[in-house]
Amino acid sequence: MQFLRSPYLAIALGALLVFMLAAIGGRFTGPGLAAQLAQQAPAVIEKAGGGTRVEAHFRSPSGWPSRHPLLTGGEPLDETTRQAVALAVNAIPGAGGIRWSDGDALVEADEARLNPLHCQEDVQALLRARTIRFEESSARIDKPSRALIAEVAQALRPCLGAIIAITGHTDKSGPDAANIALSRERALAVRQALIARGIPADGLRAEGKGSHEPVEGLLPSDPANRRIEFEVLATEPIKPTPVDTPSAR
Amino acid sequence: MPIWMELFVLMLIAYALGLAIGWAIWAREN
Repeated sequence: MQFLRSPYLAIALGALLVFMLAAIGGRFTGPGLAAQLAQQAPAVIEKAGGGTRVEAHFRSPSGWPSRHPLLTGGEPLDETTRQAVALAVNAIPGAGGIRWSDGDALVEADEARLNPLHCQEDVQALLRARTIRFEESSARIDKPSRALIAEVAQALRPCLGAIIAITGHTDKSGPDAANIALSRERALAVRQALIARGIPADGLRAEGKGSHEPVEGLLPSDPANRRIEFEVLATEPIKPTPVDTPSAR
Repeated sequence: MPIWMELFVLMLIAYALGLAIGWAIWAREN
């Protein structure tokens, strides 16, 4: 036992012993704990309003049993339901940090970040053939355009972290100040609609330009100038929420 | 984090604390 006289070697051996104890302990108790949590999860999710589509997978990204669940299937739900489901799963005794498969986990993963300008092209492709229409002289989005807004929200979803400018434009008819106000109201309405569909609010800026920026090649009085434009301004790196703050993303 | 990794971190912290306390006692008595 002479070699144990050296303190550093003894300490290192002690650490190795700790590691082996943890590995063996984890091998025996880990799957049981994860299974126990996974058993309680579906009832809790259903109670919180997540239905049967949302599933909690108690596995780490590398496949080991974990007490931090990955929640899948939350795409069709709205933000408040997602938040409620996240809080409910977090409240299971023993469960840890919630990750959503379509939320911040995308940012932390090693997958290549999508080029944000690509998002702008997607949205412009959508809006080329169809416009977001409003009711006469008001900022209420009319019913058929709601589906288009949902598609725009879908196209903007991968642009987490991008700052998107929503600009409302009108044609020249009527007083200038009223046009600016109306175009701003409409841009704000689109902004609210997108927020309701899950795009983070601090990434959306709305403004109204009235008839000051007509489409290139068109006269300002042309009614085709009445439109909503989206522009991706910049990307801010997303700060993922810490593991122990269960949220909608 | 996998469960075994969390166990390892906790046990390592306990080990380090134990070492520190043990060393303090040893230093006192010598």
